[in-house]
Amino acid sequence: MSCKNGNLYQPSIVVLDEVRDEIKDVKTFFFHFENKTQEDTFRTFMPGQFAMVSIFGAGEMAISLPPSPTEDRLFFTTRKVGSVTNAMHGLKPGDKFGVRGPYGNGFPMKDYEGRNLIIVAGGIGLIPLRSVILYALHNRSKYGKIQVFYGSRTPTDLMYTENLSQWQEDKGFECYLTVDKPDESWKRNVGVVGSLFKLPGVEMPVPDTTVFVCGPPIMFRFVLADLITMGFKDENMVSTLERYMKCGVGKCGHCCIGVAYVCTDGPVFTLEQIRKLGEVI
Amino acid sequence: MRGRIIHKSDLVKIVEALMKTHRVVAPFAGRGRDSYFDVVTNENKNDIAIHVANPYYPPKRYVFPHMHKLMTIKAGDKPSIEPNCVDEKVAVFGMRSCDVEGVFHLDRFYLGNAFKDTYYEEFRNNLFIVNMVCTDTKTDIDDDCFCVCADAGTAAKAHFDLQLMDLHDESGEFLAVAGSEAGEALISQPFFRKATLAHVSRRKSVLGEVRKRFKTATSWYSAVTKYITHGGEIKDATWKKIGDRCLECGACSYVCPACTCFTVTDRPAGDGTFNRVRVWDACALSGFTRMAGGHNPRKAVHDRRNRRFFRKLSHYFIQREFTMACVGCGRCVRVCHGDIGMPQVVEILRRETAALLQQEKA
Amino acid sequence: MSHPANHGRLCVRGWHVHEVASSPDRLRTPLLRKNGDLVPVTFDEAYDAIAENLSKIKKQSGPDAIGFLDSARVSNEDGYILQKFARTVVGTNNIDQGTSFYRTTTVNVLREMLGIAAATNPLEDVFTSKAIILNEIDIGQQLPTLGGAIIRAHLAGTKLIVVGSRRHRVTEHADIFLNIKPGTELFLYAAMAKIIVDRGLMDLDFIRTRCKGYESFLQNIQSFDILHAAHRCDVAPALIEQAVLLYCQNKPGMLLYPSATADIDHDALSAMVNLVLLSGNLGKKGSGILPLSEHNNAQGGCDMGVMPNCLPGYVKVTDATKRASIEKCWNAVIPQSQGRDAAEMLDSASPIKALWLDRHNPVVSASYKDAVEQIKKMDFVVLQNLFLTKTAQFAHVVLPVAAYGEEDVTFTSTERRVQLAVKAIEPPKGFVSAWQQVVAVANRMGARWDYTSPRNVLAEIAEVVPDYSGVTPENLGRDYGRQWPCTQDLPLGTPILFTESKNSRLFSFATVSMTPPEAGANQEFPFALTFGHSLYYWHQNTLVRHSETLKREYGILLLDFPEGFVEINDEDAKGMSIRDNQKIKIVSPKGSAQTFARVTSEVRKGSIFIPFFLQDVMKTIGRDNVKNTFVRIEKAG
Repeated sequence: MSCKNGNLYQPSIVVLDEVRDEIKDVKTFFFHFENKTQEDTFRTFMPGQFAMVSIFGAGEMAISLPPSPTEDRLFFTTRKVGSVTNAMHGLKPGDKFGVRGPYGNGFPMKDYEGRNLIIVAGGIGLIPLRSVILYALHNRSKYGKIQVFYGSRTPTDLMYTENLSQWQEDKGFECYLTVDKPDESWKRNVGVVGSLFKLPGVEMPVPDTTVFVCGPPIMFRFVLADLITMGFKDENMVSTLERYMKCGVGKCGHCCIGVAYVCTDGPVFTLEQIRKLGEVI
Repeated sequence: MRGRIIHKSDLVKIVEALMKTHRVVAPFAGRGRDSYFDVVTNENKNDIAIHVANPYYPPKRYVFPHMHKLMTIKAGDKPSIEPNCVDEKVAVFGMRSCDVEGVFHLDRFYLGNAFKDTYYEEFRNNLFIVNMVCTDTKTDIDDDCFCVCADAGTAAKAHFDLQLMDLHDESGEFLAVAGSEAGEALISQPFFRKATLAHVSRRKSVLGEVRKRFKTATSWYSAVTKYITHGGEIKDATWKKIGDRCLECGACSYVCPACTCFTVTDRPAGDGTFNRVRVWDACALSGFTRMAGGHNPRKAVHDRRNRRFFRKLSHYFIQREFTMACVGCGRCVRVCHGDIGMPQVVEILRRETAALLQQEKA
Repeated sequence: MSHPANHGRLCVRGWHVHEVASSPDRLRTPLLRKNGDLVPVTFDEAYDAIAENLSKIKKQSGPDAIGFLDSARVSNEDGYILQKFARTVVGTNNIDQGTSFYRTTTVNVLREMLGIAAATNPLEDVFTSKAIILNEIDIGQQLPTLGGAIIRAHLAGTKLIVVGSRRHRVTEHADIFLNIKPGTELFLYAAMAKIIVDRGLMDLDFIRTRCKGYESFLQNIQSFDILHAAHRCDVAPALIEQAVLLYCQNKPGMLLYPSATADIDHDALSAMVNLVLLSGNLGKKGSGILPLSEHNNAQGGCDMGVMPNCLPGYVKVTDATKRASIEKCWNAVIPQSQGRDAAEMLDSASPIKALWLDRHNPVVSASYKDAVEQIKKMDFVVLQNLFLTKTAQFAHVVLPVAAYGEEDVTFTSTERRVQLAVKAIEPPKGFVSAWQQVVAVANRMGARWDYTSPRNVLAEIAEVVPDYSGVTPENLGRDYGRQWPCTQDLPLGTPILFTESKNSRLFSFATVSMTPPEAGANQEFPFALTFGHSLYYWHQNTLVRHSETLKREYGILLLDFPEGFVEINDEDAKGMSIRDNQKIKIVSPKGSAQTFARVTSEVRKGSIFIPFFLQDVMKTIGRDNVKNTFVRIEKAG
């Protein structure tokens, strides 16, 4: 490996194919690699991994990968919140940007085979977990019961509504939705995500089950409390942590928490690991 | 290792030999106790300071520069990314053992672990290290040094290309030892001659004398692991007191030979071209962990102090590699506004855990 | 590591100062306005245009239609040559640094009472002092190096008294914290003086042999009522007494104050100096009074006469005899009447038609009411800077200058230390120091100046300014600069002022007037205002904007609070049900502005802290009368 060949920090050039509006300030960017070999290498990514995206002139940032490796199209979904995302939201189809990756440990989907999967997400926390859900659905026979509990503040804040309606209709897999503040057309549950656990008919198996949780810090806290009460053990609850990242490869130090670098030891951690990190997250 | 002898008046020949193939940097004396690394030229090569305080601006910058352009990015319809490769050979004539240990630490960090840092590798492959052992208790070492506690000095055991040591007797001789193939090549030059057993035993006695210079030769650092296990019991109030003494200047990270953090930024160079530049960063600064959107998991200054201590002396390195990210050079002590360099913090925690241990016994 | 002022320690800004010279945003060529746009030209073209236009305006409207403003950050050479140009080539005393508070308060009061307007002792004397009074400055953020020295001195046993309306990091180390209401320093120090006299704690020996005006001072303080003062400051009288005892019983003692805040006005400073005289804390190691400047060359600029009323060496423009001797030195005539200061030059009634700005950026400086309007009216504006500032939008000629590290110049620090700034790298091709550009223009306007190198300028400064007469590059380079007076008799400089008692000028006590309570805080406007900086907003933010790391830290404040913020005490906020980052409205008798609340315990209850970068807020609610502006807070939208 040398500077010109296999440079750890050199992004690959990708082309923006399509931009889709999701919810307010959130867009999805479909892209493909200019170089087929680079794309093939990239497509070995697993759910839960992320990439370092360079918007030329604005900088580089870490973005989680919402597509499942079993899907056709590659895309990112980001909210416009910082200088790089702001620049990204100004891109048009045909524009080029840079991608490095995939990085991170990802969810060990093979280890979960034979287990039940419960996915709990809040707001844009669905983005990283989308990959898990779709991967499991595309490999349905390998997993047991699959349940998705998802909520957001209002109906217009629900992410990936196209997928959601599809998931609602699929048999052999349960999907429960809720919002904090409904509008006139909302017919489903109203309340925080945790309130979905108490819906009549909802049975959440505890043995041989892995729970995936991702959402804003406050949702995290309450949901975790509920799950622990239900009897789920720390080693069977898993999340993906977010941190300011500048390199994605465990060198720059920004994402370091206690004994771990979120970019190389994570971003996927079990609750047991999170408790042992040595620093409050 | 085979020993060789060179007279101090011939040391400049080493520099001259290196100057043929490398850009050579060496310490020079400034005003007062100041010293600094500078490029050696024919005009100044005889002014190189052999016995002088360790330059405060650390030589880690020869493998990990303060500011370094990684690549040139041209934006637009046909974007291109041109990496900025390193091909200049640099020789540091006179790196102290603590700094040598620091470079070794950086080697393990940047080249080990999950990924190899391309640029670090290039800088490192182009570096020739001449380690100067600290032997003069009046000039080389001062009250803030504690390399013996971090097991990094005063003579580096390995990880240098060539090691020189003043034998401090009337002969004016230096003992030289090679630590790599390149060093072996240099040491076989005719201005070196064979060392004898007498020289080796002289080296031993000089090193023994030098250890006495340090305030505490007992390695209280190795005991630090014991205290760390009580880490959760250190009162918040203690960290707050330490935090009150921090003025968030970042100097402790900048001068530390074993600190590795950086940030990357794209600087406009005109005409739609950008230089992606890597610069030193410090976890002392509150923006270090701030995420887009506002959440900052390590906002309070005492949380950052706490983090520095635990990361360098416990979590990341001791728990994973049984090493410390501290080489005992004492720079953090010298640059800290509030006197909370590594040894001072260790001392504060030691006192607190000693009190706790007493209570436990009782 | 051996530098006596900082022992090798730097603050976060010091660690990034090298990034200014290498910033990609530096101006690359001089610019001249042609047909409405600024276009690149050669330096010669630029100099020609300047000389032509200034000569024309001088001829048509007289020399006083031209004004000169520089910054308290430019070198001694830059300041000296600019004021000489203004006075002898153009013929006006309209020259200022723009640090008017410094000038009107520190320079006036200290010259009057002590005879010299500068720090009396070196910074490192904090380590030998036994008691330090630190007044109203967030020193950990503004001057971290000195703040650190104070923390270390305190750890070693020095007593620390912090006076201020804001609780900051160094306050956590204070033995006594006098958390006074904003703007009440006068009452506090007057009360402290009274306590000293009543308890007989003054140094009578010192007073009798080295001071005058004691009798009138004694009469003046008779009217002071300690309980009333304690009430005005909102501090327990017992605490004030404790502070006095601490200061008087632990000698030598030092008093530090920020020299450019509006909170400390003429009378407040006089009261502070009275305290220093009463306790005899002058002329000894570890004692004294230190006006702390936040600009690297505010002291030097004043020494060089960059003031409308003073020539180099503090010679009053109206002092005919002394002025004549400088005229002789310069072989030129100096205008006799006081010039206009920065505020007057940019006032709506100003007759100024042409402006020369050396790194002075009026458009963004909060000190001016509406600089943009005035500058638009100017016929000709010359701007010297490293970057294209906002003011440059209105400039006719823009000259890029060499940066720190690219020139051999001198600066005079807050402890009177004249130091060499050595050239370490080459400036961009063709770039020279600001003073050299002034010389080029001067020579096109009839001067016959022949300064071939910076040492020529320094040699002339040594001739003209008596306190600098021993200053040469060799002398300055031998150790770490020299503290003036550095003369032929005192070639090593003078670390401590006023050490000799024979034949020395007597210090003067001052009488102060206790103003009756103003229409102060009331039900409608219950909060007092204080202003200040925050760590990463550093005056014009030149350094911050061009350093990648500092930009991130600065950017964070703006990202967290995109529309700026004002700080409110947490208890007050709770009482008004205002949360952190809530949109609020500040209302004053003059107007109102919208901003966001940052809730913190650092701010004194009953006061609002506004960071200087909130110019819109400051302009709207009225910056004129800082001490007496009261506001109320309302929730907004």
